[in-house]
Amino acid sequence: MTVNSDSTSRISGAANQWYASAVSTAIVGAVFSLIILVLLVSNFIRSSVIQAQREQELINQKVEIQNRPGDEQLLERIRRLDLQYRQNLFRNLDFMRKGAYLLLGSVVITLIGFKGASSLKKRMPTLQPAADRLTEQVCDAKFSRLAVTAGIVVLGFGALLLAVRPEIAFFETIQLDTSIPSPEQISKNWPRFRGPEGLGISAYTNVPDHWDVKTGEGILWKTEVPLAGMNSPVVWEDRVFLSGGDPNSLEVYCFDAFDGRLLWTGSVGRLSMRNDNESLDVMEDTGYAAPTVATDGRRIYAIFATGVVGSFDFDGNKIWEKDLGMPDNMYGYACSLAMFENLLLIQNDQGYVEDEKSVFIALESFSGRTIWQAKRPVASSWTSPIVAQIDGRYQLITCSNPLVIAYNPADGTELWRADCLGADVAPSPIYANGLVFVIEPHMNTLAIRPDGSGDVTETHIAYKIDFAPDICSPVSNGEMLFLLSTDGLLCCYKTEDGTKLWEKEMGEYFQSSPSVVGDKLYLLSEEGVMFIAEVEPEYKEVAKIALGEKCFASPAFADGRIYIRGRKNLYCIGN
Amino acid sequence: MAEKSKPSPDRRQFLAEAFRYAALGTLGVIGGAAFAKRYRMVQDGKCVDSGLCKECGLFEKCYKPQVWQIDPYKCIACGNCATYCVLEESAVKCVQVYPVCGYCKICFGFFEPEPHDINEGAENQLCPTGAIKRTYIEDPYYEYTIDESLCIGCGKCVKGCNTFGNGSFFLQVRHDRCLNCNECAIAAACPSGAFVRVPADRPYLLKEVEHA
Amino acid sequence: MTNFRHITVTVVFVLILCSIGSAGAIRFPPPEFESGYELPDTTVPNPRPGIYDYIDTIVLVLALGLSSYLVLKKRSRKAIFALTVFSLIYFGFYRRGCVCSIGAIQNIVLSFFDPGYAVPFVVLLFFLLPLVFTVFFGRTFCAAVCPLGAIQDVVLLRPFSVPSWLENGLRLLAYVYLGAAVLFAATGSAFIICRYDPFVSFFRLSGNVNVLILGVCFLIVGMFIGRPYCRFFCPYGVILRQLSRISKWRVTITPDECIKCRLCEDSCPFGAVKKPVEQWPAKEYDRSKKRLALLIVLLPILIFFGGWAGYGLRTTTAKVHATVRLAERVRLEETGKVEGTTDASDAFRSTGTETSELYDDASNIRARFGLGGWIFGGFVGFVIGMKLIGVSIWRKRTDYEADRASCLACGRCFEYCPREHLRRKKDSTSQNITAEESDKAEFKSGGGR
Repeated sequence: MTVNSDSTSRISGAANQWYASAVSTAIVGAVFSLIILVLLVSNFIRSSVIQAQREQELINQKVEIQNRPGDEQLLERIRRLDLQYRQNLFRNLDFMRKGAYLLLGSVVITLIGFKGASSLKKRMPTLQPAADRLTEQVCDAKFSRLAVTAGIVVLGFGALLLAVRPEIAFFETIQLDTSIPSPEQISKNWPRFRGPEGLGISAYTNVPDHWDVKTGEGILWKTEVPLAGMNSPVVWEDRVFLSGGDPNSLEVYCFDAFDGRLLWTGSVGRLSMRNDNESLDVMEDTGYAAPTVATDGRRIYAIFATGVVGSFDFDGNKIWEKDLGMPDNMYGYACSLAMFENLLLIQNDQGYVEDEKSVFIALESFSGRTIWQAKRPVASSWTSPIVAQIDGRYQLITCSNPLVIAYNPADGTELWRADCLGADVAPSPIYANGLVFVIEPHMNTLAIRPDGSGDVTETHIAYKIDFAPDICSPVSNGEMLFLLSTDGLLCCYKTEDGTKLWEKEMGEYFQSSPSVVGDKLYLLSEEGVMFIAEVEPEYKEVAKIALGEKCFASPAFADGRIYIRGRKNLYCIGN
Repeated sequence: MAEKSKPSPDRRQFLAEAFRYAALGTLGVIGGAAFAKRYRMVQDGKCVDSGLCKECGLFEKCYKPQVWQIDPYKCIACGNCATYCVLEESAVKCVQVYPVCGYCKICFGFFEPEPHDINEGAENQLCPTGAIKRTYIEDPYYEYTIDESLCIGCGKCVKGCNTFGNGSFFLQVRHDRCLNCNECAIAAACPSGAFVRVPADRPYLLKEVEHA
Repeated sequence: MTNFRHITVTVVFVLILCSIGSAGAIRFPPPEFESGYELPDTTVPNPRPGIYDYIDTIVLVLALGLSSYLVLKKRSRKAIFALTVFSLIYFGFYRRGCVCSIGAIQNIVLSFFDPGYAVPFVVLLFFLLPLVFTVFFGRTFCAAVCPLGAIQDVVLLRPFSVPSWLENGLRLLAYVYLGAAVLFAATGSAFIICRYDPFVSFFRLSGNVNVLILGVCFLIVGMFIGRPYCRFFCPYGVILRQLSRISKWRVTITPDECIKCRLCEDSCPFGAVKKPVEQWPAKEYDRSKKRLALLIVLLPILIFFGGWAGYGLRTTTAKVHATVRLAERVRLEETGKVEGTTDASDAFRSTGTETSELYDDASNIRARFGLGGWIFGGFVGFVIGMKLIGVSIWRKRTDYEADRASCLACGRCFEYCPREHLRRKKDSTSQNITAEESDKAEFKSGGGR
């Protein structure tokens, strides 16, 4: 809208004065507004910088006053700084508020001036020469269509940009292997503590029966394990897994089964470690990584003494992590993991019976989701559960003080229980020759018929043996049951009725559990000496091989190989 | 540009009239549905959906005119209340519930975790603006009150009191200051989802003494 | 003093062990006072009494009624402006611009999708009343009642006209904004109209710095381009446009008949004056018929692709929802892809909820955004298609008219019309003006009929 110079003369003299004052009001108002705006903005920027500095300094000084108590000057400085900070804070608030009102007022005045001026100055509407209306309208329409099309392009482009972002998948099952291994596959590997069924029986009879640490003969490889732990090696095809921990780290290790290279290290528990650097103390003898890991051939699962459970795939990517809370366990949590189909089974026994804290938890293997939980009226224990196939159905058998409880592993319903144990139960149960063998340390070994239901204490205990180890779990080759006490007394009984067959003083201390390989017994002492013996009709030692390193973990058996974890190193015995 | 087959003005007017009734009808339906929902939910002044609402005391889901409030059991005292409020001086302030307070000589909401000395020196106080007043009552009890004109709602005292004390200090939206924005900027920024809408006639979610 | 510190440290250490972040544990027993001390009460200042909300509603109704009267009957720009200033002061500065009719859309939408939320009655009225008035009187709400419109109107100093093709293109933004606002409100993610309201910071005289800067930009632009927010962004305006097309009474530039003097062509700062349209040759007519057919066929395609794009954006749009953001953060932390934790993930873990529950919630929300994305995208596609069709359709027009949808009923054009001047003179002096004299009032412009 251009101004026709003629039209200005239409403003009369008096109106001209008003016009002039309106314009001047507008200008003054605008200048004033600008000044206030600049002041407000500069004050905002400056004070936020200075206040941030002051705050940081105050924090630093408050820390320093801890180191230098009684320093009067420092005290004075802190107090003065604090006063400045506070004064500035409130002064700024006040300034902003007043400034905002002033700004509003001056803007209003400016607007009044402008509006007044424009209303006083009457402009004549000018008319462009009448263009060809038709062409104008056709053009308008065409350009409008173009503009809208341009709009489509812009929107489409914007949508494309926004859509090209990596999606953070939660549990898209396409990416996760939710299949479960077949029983055949499981039996070919050593996927948990004491082997595929937790019975300590090797599927392979071609394992070495001699090796020499000094010459290196029979030793395929030896690799140092970064962090120590009591847990035993777990083997699946070409991978060996261990876990280890110290107050700052909880780690899972994956080694190549054939050349011993440490392939990857996975770490858990950083999320739940509390920020005030407080370590969760665990008894040194047990350590942070007493429970043995478990695998289903797709992922490796580990639990630690702090109650953290983590899962990694075979390439080392962490799949999930869960914090069950620090278990209330006086010696340190040590129950190893078990698996059933796609469930990870965790025996979380804590405290005393009356604390009612113990619970058995089943997590979904690929997601960590809790599938079922069963509260157990038991105290802390250090045994590991087993899953046995008995008469066509699976039973999850657990030992604790005072109950032996068998569950249906798929849903946690209790099948039977027996009130027959006490004290600190550490040896894990086994199933052999139709009987479940459980141990009450220093008291009895009991054989229970697992075909009952409900409370079978009075009815299904087949027999008792009055010898019971306190740490090592029992092993059986079907006909004979072998019990090994910590101070080295090995006793053999008939599984059918519990009659004693023979006993042998080994002369060494044992913490790892005995294993059966074919018709031989493999015993690994604390000093690292492997005793290999035939068992019929009497104990007949076939080999006694020193490893040269202390051993507390039970060995793992694979095709032609034995994996032994010493205090520091992981050994692969084979040819 | 195609010419629309021009309906005669009468037909066009008729169409417009029809659309008008349709529009008014739609508005009526929307209004009715929205209003009916509220009416259905609140009967005799009590929430019908009682599974969620404890005597219309504490909860997210109530259908009377609503204002914003902080659920003190969800609040983690992160400090966002002081910075995210649209007002320069946040409408969220710390409040003190006296029956819950332990009146401790060493108040964990007043003093730093390891104070230099047990006095009101700036080096010993948690509150950055000195808004907590400590008054001696009798041995060994001290009364702690909050001067709202000084409190900025940063939550430092709340953190201390919740972690080590009784939790009598907690943050609440003060309704003489709050503008009751349709979307509360603090609510959008709250990491623990502690901001809830509460009925305007019960606008505070104060902690109560747990009777032994 | 050192003994003291030891005691404090021990006490603190013991308490750290007991603490585990509980907010409700009473660690120190309530004291028993012997000096007769009485526990003070915690002050609980009440919010604004509900009656005031109803007063606001009454003011709204009166303002709407007055605005309609001033626009349609009295036709006085000065009076309309005065009412605009009043609305700015009352609904803007006094009520701080909240709750406004524009934002009320979100509340209504939320109440339909969230079983736990119902719209307060006053908000419902604020949503419905302007719409009802528009159905009868046109956009008189925009004229003098809406505070956002008022503040833009007040700063308009020197309007420059926006070419109509640009106007048509930019107006699409308002539809996208409406669709997005409904999507985010329905999923309970955010009220984006409120979050990005440029002018509310002025009404509150404080606010988020970014929004404040946005507001300043809008106002500066608004000094030279009339009501940019109203024309190109306002989601409520989208609804008002459609209702205003079918309004019973409407704003006319001339009080009685149009004499095609062309004086009002430049009168509207918002580009709402529609010029007369002529007959056109058959060639043009054929071509445009083909084009129209093509566009009609294009419409469902646009709807489909729009919906598909909306669906494809679901993971990004879902991030607006706090639960999805939390789930993503927790997942990244759990798989070790990101270091450290945030306040939100810490707070989540301290509640002890299973992560799988959180992930399920987030996946559900994503799915809702998927469906919502189809609808939102389809809506945008539909609007674009209709716009293309609408621009290609022509209705013959002989007079200068106010565009029914775009006219904001501000009344600026009244002064430009000679017939209006006549009416005013007639009203004040009640003289009869002959047709001859009315012809004399025409400016010679050389054509244009």
